[in-house]
Amino acid sequence: MKILIVEDEPKMGDYLRKGLLEAGFVVDLARDGLDGLHLALSGDYDLIVLDVMLPSLDGWGVLKTVRRSGHEMPVLFLTARDGVEDRVRGLELGADDYLVKPFAFSELLARVRTLLRRGRSQEVETLRAADLELDLLRRRVSRAGVRIDLTAKEFALLELLLRRQGQVLPRSLIASQVWDMNFDSDTNVIDVAVRRLRVKVDEPFEPKVIRTVRGMGYVLEVPESP
Amino acid sequence: MRPWPRSLTTRLALLFALLTAILLVVVVLVQGRAVEEHLRELDDQELTGKVTLIKNLLHRAELSENLPRRLDDAFIGHDMLGVVLRNAEGRVVYGIRPENFGEPQLDDDAVLDVTTIWEKGGKQYIGLQTTVDALDFWSRPTRLRALIGLDISHQVRFLEQVRKRLWIDIFFGAIIAALFALFAAHSGLAPLRRMTATARGLSAKHLGERLAERDAPTEVRDLVIAFNDMLERLDSSFRRLSDFSADIAHELRTPISNLMTQTEVALSHTRSPDEYREVLASNLEEYERIARMVSDMLFIAQAEEGRLPKATEAVNLADEGRALIDFYEALADEKGVQIVIAGEASVTADRLMIRRALSNLLSNALRHSLTGSSVEISIANRASLATLAVKNYGDTIPSDQLSQIFERFHRASPERHRHGESAGLGLAITRSIIEMHGGHIEVTSEAGVTIFILHLPLAAAVSPANT
Repeated sequence: MKILIVEDEPKMGDYLRKGLLEAGFVVDLARDGLDGLHLALSGDYDLIVLDVMLPSLDGWGVLKTVRRSGHEMPVLFLTARDGVEDRVRGLELGADDYLVKPFAFSELLARVRTLLRRGRSQEVETLRAADLELDLLRRRVSRAGVRIDLTAKEFALLELLLRRQGQVLPRSLIASQVWDMNFDSDTNVIDVAVRRLRVKVDEPFEPKVIRTVRGMGYVLEVPESP
Repeated sequence: MRPWPRSLTTRLALLFALLTAILLVVVVLVQGRAVEEHLRELDDQELTGKVTLIKNLLHRAELSENLPRRLDDAFIGHDMLGVVLRNAEGRVVYGIRPENFGEPQLDDDAVLDVTTIWEKGGKQYIGLQTTVDALDFWSRPTRLRALIGLDISHQVRFLEQVRKRLWIDIFFGAIIAALFALFAAHSGLAPLRRMTATARGLSAKHLGERLAERDAPTEVRDLVIAFNDMLERLDSSFRRLSDFSADIAHELRTPISNLMTQTEVALSHTRSPDEYREVLASNLEEYERIARMVSDMLFIAQAEEGRLPKATEAVNLADEGRALIDFYEALADEKGVQIVIAGEASVTADRLMIRRALSNLLSNALRHSLTGSSVEISIANRASLATLAVKNYGDTIPSDQLSQIFERFHRASPERHRHGESAGLGLAITRSIIEMHGGHIEVTSEAGVTIFILHLPLAAAVSPANT
């Protein structure tokens, strides 16, 4: 998966590249609009992370030209202004998603993965991690063969964690995906909900698959055996 | 090109002068007409008098040699009068100043007994032709044609002079009226100039000043009130803006100093990776707090400025309440608190924002609930408003804090700050959202029962039958 970052702020660009490289992507970084446009048109990218405020050619200009030349790759734009017009304009010009600075890197990563997965849905019937199994059709969860009863929201939470296995999910993303709370809500709620889920699916068993990443969120992954 | 000058004073003066002139012209025309008619009437009477005189003279005498002399005698002193008497054959039997008459007047076919006006030799005459009965030389009755004319040149000249004079008077009258009007308008508009002077003295620093409403003339009072209202809004916006800056600077100081201290301390010695990780994670928490605060502050600022979009979607408060209960259920369960909901109402609003507003209220209620108690959401329709009350059982909020509870960064207890919880913006956000939707929020707290009540305009089309 090849990603192009167009970002003029030096530290931001460097760390975005680093973070995405470490997340397993191939990453190119352009530091102004014209370079970014040149790369976007010549390289074969799966996704572009595009800052709006750029020297030489702003993000809108880049986006417009990229779309006009027939490139359909998803574009995630970054804006420092939380203006509604900005969002509307970006989406109208053909961007796929946006993030308002400051944002959590884990949030960016989650969005990038969502955008890359879009259009390539492999419908699965069962999600698995270690001996934990979630049957989507019959809406059943079992671990080590033992049936576990979950509430609807617990099921949705576990499904999200399983679908995004190995990815750190920020609390805000969990609140938005599971409860449709698309704003900064009380994050204690997520902590409690995850704790309860753990009591049911993780505590009586080994290995523990749900992990808290301090300051970032939660991740479900099967620990590598020592 | 504007048809009218910009200056009100000039406009009023011109208008006044114009109206005065029109009025004078009308008066002059009407009066002139009356005078003219009166003079004509006098002329008619005079003519009639002369006709009667001639008739009487002729009636008693035959056309003898001495008739002309008698007629001459009768008309002595009547210098303005011209008379021509003709017999049936058209021969002139008597004439006095016959040069006053022209061909048309001497015409035999001229209509009888009709007053006409003519001009001859630069003079104006009024006259008529009539028949007079007399006796001829042989004392036989005969009928004479009498032509009588009066010289009225002096009248016409007089009227002309008067008219000329009046036009001049009108002209000067209009100018004088304009000058008066100029003066009147100038002094009448003095309050406007005073207001201007006050307004000119206003600046961002003196927005507290107001124009005097009571001194303002009735006509401009509305303007003054509107202007003062505008000042009021500007003033409060300015105050809010400076409060905003002060608040945010103040609130940022704590997390930033935390960050600086812990980072500096961490860097002052070589440490194990775990220790670095710990510092970074702690930093991240502070950053999140800052980021969240900034975005919340921006949200409030935008809501107060009215820059957020206003959706016109019908939002069912009960549905939103239930969705939020779903969300908070686990947390409430942990605290041993039960959330119940009753009632139904729909409002026209932005669903996401209403949800956010309610979420803050619920979160707040749960945080301050006693274990084993319940949080009660009750929704009702009252007149044109939907009300939603969130009731919780816990500590009583001191009455002196109730009024400030919706202010930015207000915290019921200072120590909560330490636990990285919300920066005290939740209720401020709720209030902004509710007010943005044309509603209002209030709170009561007595004997351990705290109730937040939202009032929102009902959804117009979808409001259920009033209950």
